[in-house]
Amino acid sequence: MEIRKICVLGAGIMGHGIAQVCAQAGYEVNLRDIKDELVEAGIARIKKFLSGSVERQKMTQAEADAVLARIKGTTDLDKATRDADLVIEAIVEDIDIKKQVFREIDKICPTETIFASNTSAQSITEMAMATKRPEKFIGMHWFNPPQLMQGIEVVVHDRLSEDTVKTITELCHKLGKVPGICRDSTGFIVNRLLQIWYNEGLNMYDEGIAEPQDIDTAYREGCGFRMGPFELRDMVGLDTGLAITMTHYREYMRDQFKPPRCLVMKVRAGELGRKTGRGFYNYEAKS
Amino acid sequence: MSIENITIIGHSTLSAELAQILTKSGFEVLTTDLTEDYSAKASVAELVLEFLPEDLELKGKVLCDCDARCKGETILVTTTGNPWITRLASNTTRPDRFIGINFVRNWAQGKLFAQVAKGLQTSAQTVEACIESLRRAGLTPVKLEESPGLIIDRMIASVINEAALMYSTRLATIEDIDKMMKLCANWPLGPFELADIVGIDSVVSTLETLHQQLGAKYLPCPLLRKMVDAGWLGKKTGRGFYTYT
Repeated sequence: MEIRKICVLGAGIMGHGIAQVCAQAGYEVNLRDIKDELVEAGIARIKKFLSGSVERQKMTQAEADAVLARIKGTTDLDKATRDADLVIEAIVEDIDIKKQVFREIDKICPTETIFASNTSAQSITEMAMATKRPEKFIGMHWFNPPQLMQGIEVVVHDRLSEDTVKTITELCHKLGKVPGICRDSTGFIVNRLLQIWYNEGLNMYDEGIAEPQDIDTAYREGCGFRMGPFELRDMVGLDTGLAITMTHYREYMRDQFKPPRCLVMKVRAGELGRKTGRGFYNYEAKS
Repeated sequence: MSIENITIIGHSTLSAELAQILTKSGFEVLTTDLTEDYSAKASVAELVLEFLPEDLELKGKVLCDCDARCKGETILVTTTGNPWITRLASNTTRPDRFIGINFVRNWAQGKLFAQVAKGLQTSAQTVEACIESLRRAGLTPVKLEESPGLIIDRMIASVINEAALMYSTRLATIEDIDKMMKLCANWPLGPFELADIVGIDSVVSTLETLHQQLGAKYLPCPLLRKMVDAGWLGKKTGRGFYTYT
């Protein structure tokens, strides 16, 4: 199936970036959010990114204008989705709200429209089954920032048609991205392996084997990772990290995903990483 | 006590590279092996490192021989990746001046990296003297307690074990898992590329030690065991998760 027009639901951190990538690849894009301010904020971010690209001579002003002209912002769900060949959902990570939106657009969109969810934590299969088109419901997990990160996890499940998989993997290539096919399961590929990577480091600290800075140094200097598990947890936010770990632990019920004690206690103490000035490390300016 | 003379027992690419780095940094380095009177060469040093095969008895014998001939203040070092430090130390007369220093190569940048592992009886002065000497040699050592797999082997084995489970349960292909970890998590190598470099046999052996000492979550994935049985050990045998020609 040929995709010409793409609707992106949600103009937040992921949604605006996804819309921009699609528009840059030449697709007509409807960018929809629930409030005018949110739509405007998303489009303003795209403008800012594009003018940066023009300044660095990555694109001409005319090209940037053409990209922007292809993106139509709206709050009207019907208008946004009715004529789209593909709807990419990037709204709040709440399974009930996501299912509700998909049920609504299932009634609006023609039967051939493909639905994709950018969820990182919810079950694609469960959302697919909330619609009457599970064979056209796929996971498309982008990474932050979507404009720069090259990989997209394409999440497949038992009810999905081969045709949909083919259309979406081809779309990824046209967007200049690299698809990785993954069966529906919590954390898909990347977040699941990252949980193990984080947990091993944090567990070593819990076991009294080494201090965070030594563990981080070993990950960086010994293995070539850009950051160690403690620095990265602090950067992303310890509350966010704990929530992701808990999702894996609840779903897989395996000890590998058990939240490390040090992470639980830091969150309880309100030391959530860089954003609070303290996490595993202290970021408060020394007076 | 200052460390000026270092004796290295046993030959490997890592030991040769270390000898070169230490010499360049101004240390007096002697290298020897089991075909020579190694304890005589060890007797002049303030720091003695063994780079022998991972054989507990062999390491024990050689280090006890050195213990008998070395000066009182000399530090004995095992480079083992196994949790044998306290056990080896307790067989010498100097468990406080006995320590583990495990050297690995950073796969991304090819640089040598040292994990300084303290046995139960190792003194704080011994740890500091080793850290200082490694820093003087331009290395970035980290400090830890003796533990199975230390930091690096343990983390790598756990990640590879999970990746092998993901692949063998048909979650995704080997290529896609490697590709996504590099593109989406900025990893220098994918877990399967790493496994083939480290060696599947060595990954399984680390997991078995972890399993024995730390519990069920380290049980090696059946696929990894089958690969060892089949002789698919990675790059060194021409086949692991990938095929090499």
